[in-house]
Amino acid sequence: MSKTNHLSGKEVRAIAKENKKIVKKLEAYKNRKAPESEYLTEMKDDANILEIDDLHTYFFTEQGVVKAVNGVSFNIPKHATVGVVGESGCGKSVTSMSVMRLIQGPAGQIYSGSIRFNAKEADGTEKVYDIAKMPMRDIHKIRGNQIAMIFQEPMTSLNPVFTIGQQLDEVTFINDPKATKEMAKARSIEMLNLVGIAIPERVYDSFPHELSGGMRQRVMISMALAADPRLIIADEPTTALDVTIQAQILDLLRDLKEKIDGSIMLITHDLGIIAEMADYVVVMYAGRVIEQGTVQEIFHNPMHPYTIGLQKSKPTLDSDSDTLFNIPGNVPNPINMPNYCYFRERCSSCTKKCAGEYPGMIKVSPTHYVACHLYGEEQNNG
Amino acid sequence: MAEEQKNVTPASDSLLEVHHLRKCFPLKKTITGKVTRELIAVDDVSFSLKAGETLGIVGESGCGKTTLGRAILKLHQPTSGRIFFEGQDITDYTSSQMREIRKKMQIIFQDPYSSLPPRSTVGGILSEPVEVHNIVPKDQVKEYVLDLMDKCGLRSYYYERYPHEFSGGQRQRICIARALSVNPKLVICDEPVSALDVSIQAQIINLLKRLQQEMDLTYVFISHDLSVVKFISDKIGVMYLGSMVEFGAKEDIFANPLHPYTQALFSAIPYPDPDVKMNRIILSGDIPSPANPPKGCRFHTRCPHAKEICKEVTPEYKDYGNGHCAACHLLNE
Amino acid sequence: MEEQLKNNAPEANEDTDTPLDQNVRLMSPTRMVVRRFFRSKLSIVGLVMIVGLFLFSFVGPLIYTQWGEIELDESGKTEYATAETTYTVNGVEYTLHQTTEKSLKDNFLAPPSAEHILGTDNEGYDIFVRLMYGGRISLIVSFIAVFLITILGVFMGGIAGFFGGVVDNIIMRVCDVLICLPGIPILLIISTILDASGIDAKYRIYLLMIYLTFISWPGTARLVRGQILSLREQEYMVAAEAMGYSAPRKIFKHLVPNVMPQLIVQMSLSLGSMILYEATLSYLNLGVKAPYAAWGTMINIISTNQDILQNHLNVWVPAGICIVIAVLGFNFVGDGLRDALDPKARR
Repeated sequence: MSKTNHLSGKEVRAIAKENKKIVKKLEAYKNRKAPESEYLTEMKDDANILEIDDLHTYFFTEQGVVKAVNGVSFNIPKHATVGVVGESGCGKSVTSMSVMRLIQGPAGQIYSGSIRFNAKEADGTEKVYDIAKMPMRDIHKIRGNQIAMIFQEPMTSLNPVFTIGQQLDEVTFINDPKATKEMAKARSIEMLNLVGIAIPERVYDSFPHELSGGMRQRVMISMALAADPRLIIADEPTTALDVTIQAQILDLLRDLKEKIDGSIMLITHDLGIIAEMADYVVVMYAGRVIEQGTVQEIFHNPMHPYTIGLQKSKPTLDSDSDTLFNIPGNVPNPINMPNYCYFRERCSSCTKKCAGEYPGMIKVSPTHYVACHLYGEEQNNG
Repeated sequence: MAEEQKNVTPASDSLLEVHHLRKCFPLKKTITGKVTRELIAVDDVSFSLKAGETLGIVGESGCGKTTLGRAILKLHQPTSGRIFFEGQDITDYTSSQMREIRKKMQIIFQDPYSSLPPRSTVGGILSEPVEVHNIVPKDQVKEYVLDLMDKCGLRSYYYERYPHEFSGGQRQRICIARALSVNPKLVICDEPVSALDVSIQAQIINLLKRLQQEMDLTYVFISHDLSVVKFISDKIGVMYLGSMVEFGAKEDIFANPLHPYTQALFSAIPYPDPDVKMNRIILSGDIPSPANPPKGCRFHTRCPHAKEICKEVTPEYKDYGNGHCAACHLLNE
Repeated sequence: MEEQLKNNAPEANEDTDTPLDQNVRLMSPTRMVVRRFFRSKLSIVGLVMIVGLFLFSFVGPLIYTQWGEIELDESGKTEYATAETTYTVNGVEYTLHQTTEKSLKDNFLAPPSAEHILGTDNEGYDIFVRLMYGGRISLIVSFIAVFLITILGVFMGGIAGFFGGVVDNIIMRVCDVLICLPGIPILLIISTILDASGIDAKYRIYLLMIYLTFISWPGTARLVRGQILSLREQEYMVAAEAMGYSAPRKIFKHLVPNVMPQLIVQMSLSLGSMILYEATLSYLNLGVKAPYAAWGTMINIISTNQDILQNHLNVWVPAGICIVIAVLGFNFVGDGLRDALDPKARR
């Protein structure tokens, strides 16, 4: 094996040329003007609020195409919490960013697939949009008011030069242009109350730097809730917080789940949080969904060797073994992925069949699917 | 007070002993250089550690666990207190005296991305300390480094590569190899796995455990994750706002946590089983700023069992049998 | 299934380099920098400008040897001037016819022609050739100045940043004082002193540039100090401290190489400003003095002769264009390098 494994100048130029061509086309598609009818569609199942169908989100980098999300499909039912779990680089955040259409161009692009979202208009009628096909100029129809997002970093996701009140009021104004100042303030205070802030009037007049991390994350949650969204995407909402503060925020989220009329897509790397919060679990690895099911199925009957390994490699307070179980190897860098199971090299129960092409989704129960050659014949994608 | 401390002698069988260690950072100075406000990062921490043992230090952000680790290595000069290493009082060693001691005590950092110099190759990073401290003769350095890399699970052809070509887990292995290159006795692990993915965390923890046996190492393992600490430690110290609130053998702490903060920490960890509904102690409020800690017991602002006395009197740090120490008024009843 | 995994687990301990990883081929750091640099059209333009100027100034005179730097074109013709003066003496008018013969040996202010590509100036020197020689002076002088500034700046900034405290305070206050000094008035004074002490006109410019170095290093020193202050907080520097490395090793093996990218950018940007400085000095007649050529001196001609400013653009405009090209070129390259070397710069 050679000591260095670098791309040659010729290859780099070829990649750049190829990227430029594709990106130009996709950018034009993104910035086009289109009548609403072009991206209106139908849900496959009316019980779902969001259906992600064979989504491909690629990053066209100088080193090659990074297939960050490579054919991801899952659904988020109404009033349910879906946990997306995986390690860094598995594409869980990119999936959520694709739903919000926050992928940074020109390098990052939704390449293909559809994201069907059941939006509720102001007059109460429901419309189904295909977010992946929406032009950027129409994205405001769903962003913020229909789908809201809570970010990982509460320190940087609030604007430091405005008070909490100003930032919260703005959400109300955007949502309802007819609102008066008093209405907005009342709404903001109500929201701060909802997220368990004891003295909302004082927080309303504070600047972000005057609040602690936990408080800021509460404010972020209240901002997400202010527009009464149908779907909340929480991207690692507690990762940056301390354990005792994390317990508070999780408690709050669990409480809110009952109160709000919407679904939550919870993205995290912590299986403990998933177990506590989620109704359904989607396990991702290297840009693909490898297993999905209800939380009971995933935790009591995990099937994919990666899911099993992930659960065993986390030390728990009541385990007493001497060495930890670990999955060997590294999380792969998703450039030039081969067409066989991406987990093959790290898998301890790999068979001859695994050298073959990438396994399809196998139905274990009506809600439980796994992508692994160990389990029976491939069935319909369902 | 200072005189008194200097007379402390260490127990003969301990590798590291810390007596009443205190570290303050000045926040505000008058024009003459007099400190008017200070941040007490580590306040009156004492413990001792035998060779071959692992001490786990747990606490949340701002509790002073990182400062404690760096003060032991004298990367921060302690404000007061004594540090004994192999029976020697190293507290007042000059920086040239420290340079000799450095090869016996090393540190591994949390962030494997910023703790490796970006412009050196792996070989360069690992052979530099070996050459500086003359660990092996010059012509054997490369061989020694390759051997070390093998021990830490790094391929020999990584020798010529640069850190940015590696993933977090591999970088952390390089950091471990660098720390071990000088054959240290004591290694301070400052959150070595917090920045890593779960499946990689397990690899690194197993590697650290294996190396401890092979090279006869003593660890001070700093982490905010109780389950990781439990896995690797023999003794555990729980810190809150600069002071040690509980200290003891792992078994004692886990079987019988004395301090309410320790109890809350245990119950705060999400448990990966959807059917287990934990009866959770949820602490209200935020961690107070270490620049302005509360009077009395530091934990009283969040403690579910706080009483009047807790607001006024700082509880004494006492041994409740078998070396299991804690500082709480409730235990005296 | 679970049993099987349990048995396999402890052995599967080591980090393995999977074929999946081998599929991934990255760009080498050097190629990445080169690629980012050449991605910007402006930096290519800047590079072309600078390389062109270098070739023009250093190789040009070797190829185009028709005229020398201080070689006069003596192919001028003789001119006759006739003057008539009329004056009256005792009512009688006298007219005095006077013819003077003026031998204009020097062919001055000649228009561009095959013989003189850009014509000649008011003394009869070939402008094209003098542009080349002027470029030599400008480029050499600014390179020397920038080199000296960088050495002094890295040294002072490195010490200030690494040791901090009193040392830092003293060095930084010295910087503050130097930045307060008014450049041009002091240069005028020094120039007068140099005139009085009779130093050869050829070397004056070098002495002045040394003075410029002396007042310009604080910029570089501040940059280096700032970088070192932020690098010192990086964990790998704490690791170096924990390793027990000596101070010189830490400064020169660990800190300075990491400041290099910013230094290179700063150097290329200050090359542009040094060329401007040199031109200013020569224009003010403080730098290179006639008969030697510098771009500034060549423009200076217009300050004494209004006619040239209006009617003989070929005398001074080319020198101006050269200055603009040089300064723009260095700035474009500097900006390109900044984008290429900054790892955070993403498009």
